[in-house]
Amino acid sequence: MFNSARRILIGTLALAAAGLTGRGTTLDAQGVLVPDPTKVVMIVNRDSNDIGFMDIATHKIIKNVFLGNNVNPHMVMMSPDGRYVVTGGTRANKAFIIDTKTLQLVKVIPVDIAPEHLAFSPDSRWYYQGNPEGDSISVIDMQSLSKVKTIPGFVEPLNVTFTPDGSKAYVGNYGAHWVGVVDVRRHELLKKIQVGSVPSVAKLDPSKYLGEIKGINIAAPSVDGKYLYAADGDLGIVGVIDTREDKVIKTIRVGKDPWRIYMSHDGKYGITPNNGDQTISIIGTKCNCVEATLEAGPNMTGVNYAGGKAYVISSTSGMVYVYDMSSLKSAGRIKVGTNIQLETATTDTEDRKIYLAESTNHEVVIIDSKDNSIERVKNVGLYPWGTHIMDSKDNYCH
Amino acid sequence: MSLQRYRLARVAAVGLMVLGSAVAALAQQAPAQAPMPNMPGMDMRGGIRGTVRNANKAGVPDTIVTAVSATNGAKFEATTDAQGNYSFGALPVGGYNITVVSAGLTAFRRQGVQVTADQNVTLDITLDAASAQQAADTERQVLLEELAELRQRVTDLESSAVLSEPETRVKRVEVFVDQNGNEHDEPVPGAKKAITYRRERVYRRQTINEKVEEAIAAAEEHNVKIGVDAAVMTQYAQRTKGNDEVAPINRHAYGLASADLFFTAGIAQNTIFFADIVALSGTAPNAEIDTLTLLNGYTARLVAQNQLNLREVWLRTELFSNRLALTTGRLDLTNYFDNNAFANDESTQFLADALVNNQMLGLESNGTGVAAEFDPKNGFRAKFGLQQSNDNATNLSESLFTLSEVGYTFTPFSLPEGSYRLWFRTNNASEQILEKAVGVSIDQKLTNAFGLFGRYGTQGFEFDQRDHYWSAGVGVQNRHVFNPQDTWGVGYAETKLFDGQREKLVEGYYNLLLTDRLRMTFNVIHALETPVGGEKYGYLLPGIKIQAAF
Repeated sequence: MFNSARRILIGTLALAAAGLTGRGTTLDAQGVLVPDPTKVVMIVNRDSNDIGFMDIATHKIIKNVFLGNNVNPHMVMMSPDGRYVVTGGTRANKAFIIDTKTLQLVKVIPVDIAPEHLAFSPDSRWYYQGNPEGDSISVIDMQSLSKVKTIPGFVEPLNVTFTPDGSKAYVGNYGAHWVGVVDVRRHELLKKIQVGSVPSVAKLDPSKYLGEIKGINIAAPSVDGKYLYAADGDLGIVGVIDTREDKVIKTIRVGKDPWRIYMSHDGKYGITPNNGDQTISIIGTKCNCVEATLEAGPNMTGVNYAGGKAYVISSTSGMVYVYDMSSLKSAGRIKVGTNIQLETATTDTEDRKIYLAESTNHEVVIIDSKDNSIERVKNVGLYPWGTHIMDSKDNYCH
Repeated sequence: MSLQRYRLARVAAVGLMVLGSAVAALAQQAPAQAPMPNMPGMDMRGGIRGTVRNANKAGVPDTIVTAVSATNGAKFEATTDAQGNYSFGALPVGGYNITVVSAGLTAFRRQGVQVTADQNVTLDITLDAASAQQAADTERQVLLEELAELRQRVTDLESSAVLSEPETRVKRVEVFVDQNGNEHDEPVPGAKKAITYRRERVYRRQTINEKVEEAIAAAEEHNVKIGVDAAVMTQYAQRTKGNDEVAPINRHAYGLASADLFFTAGIAQNTIFFADIVALSGTAPNAEIDTLTLLNGYTARLVAQNQLNLREVWLRTELFSNRLALTTGRLDLTNYFDNNAFANDESTQFLADALVNNQMLGLESNGTGVAAEFDPKNGFRAKFGLQQSNDNATNLSESLFTLSEVGYTFTPFSLPEGSYRLWFRTNNASEQILEKAVGVSIDQKLTNAFGLFGRYGTQGFEFDQRDHYWSAGVGVQNRHVFNPQDTWGVGYAETKLFDGQREKLVEGYYNLLLTDRLRMTFNVIHALETPVGGEKYGYLLPGIKIQAAF
């Protein structure tokens, strides 16, 4: 009932707005650089300290929005309503907010130390900025464009995932083996879900567990949002979390040192790139089991899905490994270049083209999943680190 | 939707439509009223435009006009043209504070300028003494706010300052060199394309930690990497069938130590060097017990005890977008063929050679050769290799061992992945060695934990005078284990020669991961031998192995 009435209210207000529009003088298009926020690819350029906006149709750069010296932006994301584009400046310890239509940097907000990955609540109200070196999440209110709270208590928080209703957020802690549950109404850490326990033989090899920790990068949601899949690098497992009870209902063993899990667009599979043994594990979400473990490449940084295939980025080899998701077998690999470094990519909303950031030559490589052909867009900015398209199902960072 | 809910929704809809119409009507009558706030998902915009003039009423060019949202502080800028005109084409609706800064001082300030949806508000600005005075009144408050922000910033810096320095790196670039030797970044007439290297300035600031990590990683890439695989194993032989006459050995213990040193180095693009030096010391059951296949796979191709043996040394390069790998040097060609996932490695899986290698693959010694592997990464693989197979041969053509293999990896019948291979080999090393052999090798995962493997091979000159070998078994991981990365397996192998000799061998092992570098393996082998014209005999061989690999 409430939802129905709310939809009608919004529709009516829209009609009223249309009435206003009809009688006013026509607003000129001057100053509007992005009329449709779904038609741009955002590129985060670490060394030129800007966000590049590329027209998705023409592949021309519309504008590079400069953020400031030594900002080193890490991840870029557009709010779900398309109004703002935000990024965390890792070296500047600030969040940067860009107005999408005019591509003007409209607000700079101090946050905690080394902001990297971020997420929006589904209603676009809250922007959660993870600060891995501050072990905190900065909460930014997108109505007042101000920081309203810093949530402490995390351990190298990397990625944040909101539930579809926006009531809870889940935080992957790369410096620990638990997923944090945040109450979004109060912006408080409610619970820590341990994904797996360290095996007892760890006592024999303390340096492995007391040295660098590779914990949980992200708790990635299933398509219906009921479950979360959290890969733990040190433990080599994926924990399946039921979001109704906030507890692990199954643990799936995958390859060595899984970086994180990437869910397929149809929700049938999740892929973990296992950098410890250069394989990928394909997890079926129906059985919550590994359906295939396939050979892959070194230093994998991301997985994109397009045209019924999975594209796995092998950063230092300059290769993108391709897998047929209907037969769950290898489908070749694409050589993007030699002596280059691939970063991360986003997929367009038609699930056809992949926009891959290649930092060595300051370019974005566009892979067409139809025939695996590639097109290069040069000079997008210095050291492109990642890309983003509004409503893409493959928006991530590394 | 229930009927009651439907009625409620309809009442709400009618009411809200009336409300909406009223709002629209009011807007038509009173266009200057307060703007509609931006609702979530509704990005309504309006504009502010006007002209900036000086006290003499002349337009002021190249001046920045700033609009700051009173709602959320979002800051927009516009620059005046030659006539002093400026325009904010698309501001989110709401109230704005408009300022103009001239010569470092705020020369104009107007607060609460309302922007309404799809409307342009005209605001002409005159930069005269009156406007400057008015602006100065509020300037003080702004400066105080900025001072507070600066204090916060200093606090942030104090808490987050890191040692850092600017970064540079060297890049491979394509340039164009003309006839005069001048280098151009873009093609020019008469210039030839050339590759060069250039330092590039990077504007990232790295911490000292990051630079140290990068330097270590770079140094490792250029270093020769040394690996060690050392194992100590004991086996105990208990006769289970036969008597002292046919099988005189009983209740003997054996101990064997193996040290395997391997060196790798990247020496060119996609090219690595590899050398493998092996030393074996001690005793193995086959020194006393006569079995058709080796009871300890470590002794396969053993040249001499208590000596360092150069097992392999080769160069490997990858061509054609890394699809074709060529390996050449001193090789053990069988290492590159029949790579069964569950029964291929005596160091971590089965110990008996009958469950490590297909006994029909042949090859008694390593030698100079080449192996080519075509792998387009689509599941299909094709391999071909040849090598010298006799250490005493004086030419390659009379001691030629060749192996060919085609393989396919896929996920049949909704099962996890399986690999299926067919191989063929020839050998002309000597009259005694049989000429040709053919075999298959299969490994198929049934679940993520269980997998099956199978091998078959046959060799010989005549159809009715062929040797046969087959093996099958199961490999297990992630299930029924003490620790998560332990593995175990059970396998059976049968070898039957054309002259009647026969061996039936079964082995079970459990591989316990103590640390990433240290493993302990328990295994039990039972071999039943049928010699030509003789009485059968059998042995049970429990064993334990400790292996360090790093």
